[in-house]
Amino acid sequence: MMSNIIFLALSFFAIAGGVAMLVYRSPMYSALGLLISILSVAGLFALLNATFLFMVQLIVYAGAIMTLILFILMFLNIKDEHLPKEPKKFALIGLGAAIMVPFNIVILKAVSNLPDADMKIVESSFGDIKPIGKLLYNDWIISFELISILLLIALVGSIVLAKRKKVNKEDA
Amino acid sequence: MMDTSLLVWIILAPLLGAILNGGIYFYHVKRKPVSELVFSIIGTGTPLIAFLITLSLFLQMVDGDITFKQTVFTWLSLDTLNIAMGFLGDNLAIFMAMFVTFVGWLIHIYAIGYMTGDAGFGKFFAYFNLFLASMLILVLADNPIILFIGWEGVGVCSYLLIAFYYTDKDNVIAGNKAFIANRVGDFGFLLGLITLFFALGEVDLSFTSLEANISNASPSLLALSGFLLFVGAMGKSAQIPLYVWLPDAMAGPTPISALIHAATMVTAGVYMVARFHFLYSGIEGIGTFIAYIGAFSALLAAVIATRQQDIKKILAYSTMSQLGYMFIAVGLGFYSSGLFHVFTHAFFKAMLFMGAGGMIIALHHEQNIFKMAQHRVQLPIIGITFLIGVIAISGIPPFSGFFSKDAILAAAFQEGQYLIWAIGMFTAFLTAFYMFRMYFILFVAPNKHAAHYVYTSKTITFPLFILAIGAVGAGFLNLPAIFGGHHLVDTWLAQTNSTHIHMSHLTEYILMALSIIVAVAGIVVAYKKYANFDVYKPEDEKGIIANKFYVDEFYDLVFVQASKKVSTFIDRVLDTKIIDGFIMAICNEFITFGKKVATLQNANVRFYAAFMLIGMSCVFVYLYISLGL
Amino acid sequence: MISLTSYAFVSMILFSIGVIGVIARRNIFVIYMSIELMLNGINLFLITFARYHFNMDPQIITVMVISIAAAEAAIFLSVIILLFRSKKSLDTDIFTTLTQGERS
Repeated sequence: MMSNIIFLALSFFAIAGGVAMLVYRSPMYSALGLLISILSVAGLFALLNATFLFMVQLIVYAGAIMTLILFILMFLNIKDEHLPKEPKKFALIGLGAAIMVPFNIVILKAVSNLPDADMKIVESSFGDIKPIGKLLYNDWIISFELISILLLIALVGSIVLAKRKKVNKEDA
Repeated sequence: MMDTSLLVWIILAPLLGAILNGGIYFYHVKRKPVSELVFSIIGTGTPLIAFLITLSLFLQMVDGDITFKQTVFTWLSLDTLNIAMGFLGDNLAIFMAMFVTFVGWLIHIYAIGYMTGDAGFGKFFAYFNLFLASMLILVLADNPIILFIGWEGVGVCSYLLIAFYYTDKDNVIAGNKAFIANRVGDFGFLLGLITLFFALGEVDLSFTSLEANISNASPSLLALSGFLLFVGAMGKSAQIPLYVWLPDAMAGPTPISALIHAATMVTAGVYMVARFHFLYSGIEGIGTFIAYIGAFSALLAAVIATRQQDIKKILAYSTMSQLGYMFIAVGLGFYSSGLFHVFTHAFFKAMLFMGAGGMIIALHHEQNIFKMAQHRVQLPIIGITFLIGVIAISGIPPFSGFFSKDAILAAAFQEGQYLIWAIGMFTAFLTAFYMFRMYFILFVAPNKHAAHYVYTSKTITFPLFILAIGAVGAGFLNLPAIFGGHHLVDTWLAQTNSTHIHMSHLTEYILMALSIIVAVAGIVVAYKKYANFDVYKPEDEKGIIANKFYVDEFYDLVFVQASKKVSTFIDRVLDTKIIDGFIMAICNEFITFGKKVATLQNANVRFYAAFMLIGMSCVFVYLYISLGL
Repeated sequence: MISLTSYAFVSMILFSIGVIGVIARRNIFVIYMSIELMLNGINLFLITFARYHFNMDPQIITVMVISIAAAEAAIFLSVIILLFRSKKSLDTDIFTTLTQGERS
């Protein structure tokens, strides 16, 4: 009973955050809307017994990615003339909704035709950090290593891309 | 029939002369200049060779009744069509070849003196020899197709020689006009030949076999064929309606006018009708039509000539007029009389042209008779020969023109064609009138200063002298019986089965007297009007006669402007707007459509993403429908 | 009990909002944030299946996705800085040099 209410509230905030992100002209408001959505999704993770992922979502997504976005937003000194004029925003939103309807209908129908799950209560260590660590370092070790290399590349890449080119006055 | 290998050399001699002269002329122009003597010797030697061969064949034929025949090679051999390059030397052909080569040779000699100093001297003689060769092909042809080769050949040479002074555009236009008018006639000629071939079916096309098989064909087809062949003669011999090229053809040098447009090429039409005598004898209606065309052409030309002021144009119209007489004769079936007039006409017309040429040179290329009279010089030999020629053409006995012209008029009277006879009589009056008008103005009418003597070279006077003898004496070759003569030409040309004059002596004497009276009357009227003419006040150029009845302007309007308008219409409207427009409209539709499709590639990434998503959702719709969820 | 279908519904809604954001908005930041929202929606979907089919593997996959999203965030924002420096505008529609048709 309680979980239903919590579920409804969290999903309401997730969707409302998404819609806010979609609608507002100023990117600051959109970023805040996204933040609300991410926090709600983290809550939904927790409701689904994925406790480790709840923490990861909060730390990485809300704490790192959204912070980075807000930092860059404020760093770039955005004034009103930099923002694009979007005259047909709502018409395009309607168009997008019309495009996505068949996709959603098919997926939801497929999902609802799945055999009913046996909703037994899972063991308490489901979604804990230790089982995830075990799986990560035993079954998914290759992906793990590759992800770390990817993060290194992203690190180097973002510095290289954003560096201002220096003009060499003396001959090297 | 006797096979001889000499016959083809009559043609080959001038042909080789043409090629030789042409080659040496190229050398003369590109490398080293060659003296005129070389061109002259080749140019006059080859016609002389042709004449001597013809003379020898003629003498052989006089002895006995022989016909010469030679087939050089077979040109075309299909199922029902066999054309051999063959030449026929029967009485008619040798008769024509005799005076063609003789007068041709004399005019070649004349041309040496006339064209001396011209830059294209060698070219001139090359073309001239080529013309002689083509004319001889025409005359000696064994079948009508070979005759057509010669027919076209003389047309081409006429064009080349009329436009000889090609730097002046008017001469080129005159050459074009001659060729095009001839071409129209040649089209008719070709259609006539085709009709003949269809009418006769599977028959060897030489003249002898045509003559033998002519009765097998249907008369209406033969009439059509005869008419179409005469259309060719209309073009070549300058009869109504295709005569408009002849006066303009006087733009060429005078030897050309003398040989081509007086003595030989223009008589090809008459020769052709005589050659096809077996065809025309059977279709009386076409013959009468030919006679009427001849009569009206003679009349028209004579009327126009009375108001012409250029000496060569007067002579051109007089040629057309005399050709009309020849066609009266051959149209009514009197082939030998017509050909006799061709013979005598060649002599005195060539002489008149050559004399005119001599005067033109002596007066520094002045051709208007009034100006020539104003600056008159003394040219005794030319003056005498000119007088002889004028008397001959007017038909005063005992000069040759009288006998030949009188035979034609008597023929018309005998056949009951009184209208033609009356037109002929009136034209004889006009002929005497305009010829003596020209003579009186040029030689008699007083001018203000004394004439001094000018020397004319022997190359000009020698041919004039010889032709004068011919002009005077040729008439005696066909002296009619009432004067004790033997009709030599008529008997020689007996193969043509021409009708002969059979009327009572009294009628003949009366007709002769009438024609003499008419001619003398013309001379008297001309004398009264022009012997004391004030040459410093020439006649004006106004009036319908002086403007040649506006026929040229009429043709220009009806044919040239109409064709231009049709061509312009087809070019601007039909081709550009309709056909091109239709195709270009399709092209432009494609281009517009392509441009519209190209807006899809506008490098807007969101646009591409949207399209991908639209595609994806279409797939999902399909999935939904097919999975039956 | 909340059924799988409800969670799937929520996750699909989030995903769809993300897609609509990519198509409908021209602001480059909003496009990036819509991409992040799409990833979030898919993460939710994965975790739902992990819970309802008693499998830990989708959770590992989700960890991978989140780390990839982090890497992508770094690069993406560097590129946004570059684009802003060159054109001084946040409009994505002005970057049309790869076109072959008419330039709008």
